[in-house]
Amino acid sequence: MAHMQPSENKPAVSQYLQEALLVKQGAEARVYRGRFLGKSAIIKERFPKLYRHPSLDEKLTRRRTAQEVRSILRCRKAGINAPVVYFVDYTTNCIFLEEITDSLTVREHIASAQASGQNVEALFGLADRIGQILAKMHDEDVVHGDLTTSNMLLVSDGDGRAGKLVLIDFGLSYISALPEDKGVDMYVLEKAFLSTHPNTEALFERLLKSYTASSKKAPAVIKKLDEVRLRGRKRSMVG
Amino acid sequence: MHLTQDLELFPEQSVTQLLFRDVKNCAELRKMAVEGQIAGALINPSMVLDPFQSLLAANKAVHLEKTGKMKTRSLYSEIIFSLSPTNNISEAFKRFGISDNDNAVLVVLVHNRGDILNMDDIVSKVDGQQIPADQISTLCEVAKIKKLYKLTPQEEKCGSVLDAVVCRMAAKDVV
Repeated sequence: MAHMQPSENKPAVSQYLQEALLVKQGAEARVYRGRFLGKSAIIKERFPKLYRHPSLDEKLTRRRTAQEVRSILRCRKAGINAPVVYFVDYTTNCIFLEEITDSLTVREHIASAQASGQNVEALFGLADRIGQILAKMHDEDVVHGDLTTSNMLLVSDGDGRAGKLVLIDFGLSYISALPEDKGVDMYVLEKAFLSTHPNTEALFERLLKSYTASSKKAPAVIKKLDEVRLRGRKRSMVG
Repeated sequence: MHLTQDLELFPEQSVTQLLFRDVKNCAELRKMAVEGQIAGALINPSMVLDPFQSLLAANKAVHLEKTGKMKTRSLYSEIIFSLSPTNNISEAFKRFGISDNDNAVLVVLVHNRGDILNMDDIVSKVDGQQIPADQISTLCEVAKIKKLYKLTPQEEKCGSVLDAVVCRMAAKDVV
């Protein structure tokens, strides 16, 4: 019979998070904002999942935390913008990251561009940049795992214009050289893109073109993407 | 002159940093540290770009001490080890701790918050000139740091050298 622990024995990070500001709660993790060593930081807490068997939960959570940190470092080493990792607590599976301020998600950017009546061509420059960055990431054999326009930030550069593109939320990422895995990564993005931003097929096509032009390994990945598109739900069963 | 930062994760504790240049008795200081006569971590300032870097190392060391997961034998040696991008302890001491013929030292103390520190004790042991701890960048050797932390040229496009160093310190356990 488990005994109740007094709150003094709770891990330091858990007590700290009670005072921090909860920004978002997802299925996998809670995201907080707080002060850390004099800076503003984001804390991503992978909380225990009670619906999982405890030993499986522990292993899986720790593995996902480690993979996230590894992928971020790998991306940065290759010149891809991702938030700086300050500190990782493996007892509570919390990652303390740099807070990226003054930014807009690509999702918000596209939505506002469409709302203000701009035509799709105005966003082609952005599509080119995204394609290039994803090509670089896949060339490093990093598969993001959750590519959506909400996981890409546009940081304004001093003059209020859209500056650098930062990838975030590497929680489902892993290292893989397989074109199949990269193809699925692009498929996830395509599905998220087209469902979130109606009438942007030309934009995504432009992104893929930029991706293909920027990566030598792209043809194999695109081939797999085409194959994956033929699978899935509501597909015509004509062989 | 010195810099004190509260550790948000450990409400009873704070970290104070003292920086000295033109130090003539590094050999003696190192001996005192090894014998446990100095209640602080003696760090080679040429490897530290910014007080944030040493703060992070101290934070991590305190965390590992509290969870019983330190790799070295004392909190102060753990602070030095946490600065290193590799898991080789003796290499960390060699590169980030002070050596006999160094001429500058960064002293990092971990103490109870609100304690009125008797820093004169430490200051009197150092035969050198104390300078403001936030001037550590004037003593660091960026080229040496880039080489030891194995920075890539592309990485400098996405952030500062400090960003790259901080990431490696944080990711050390899983790489």
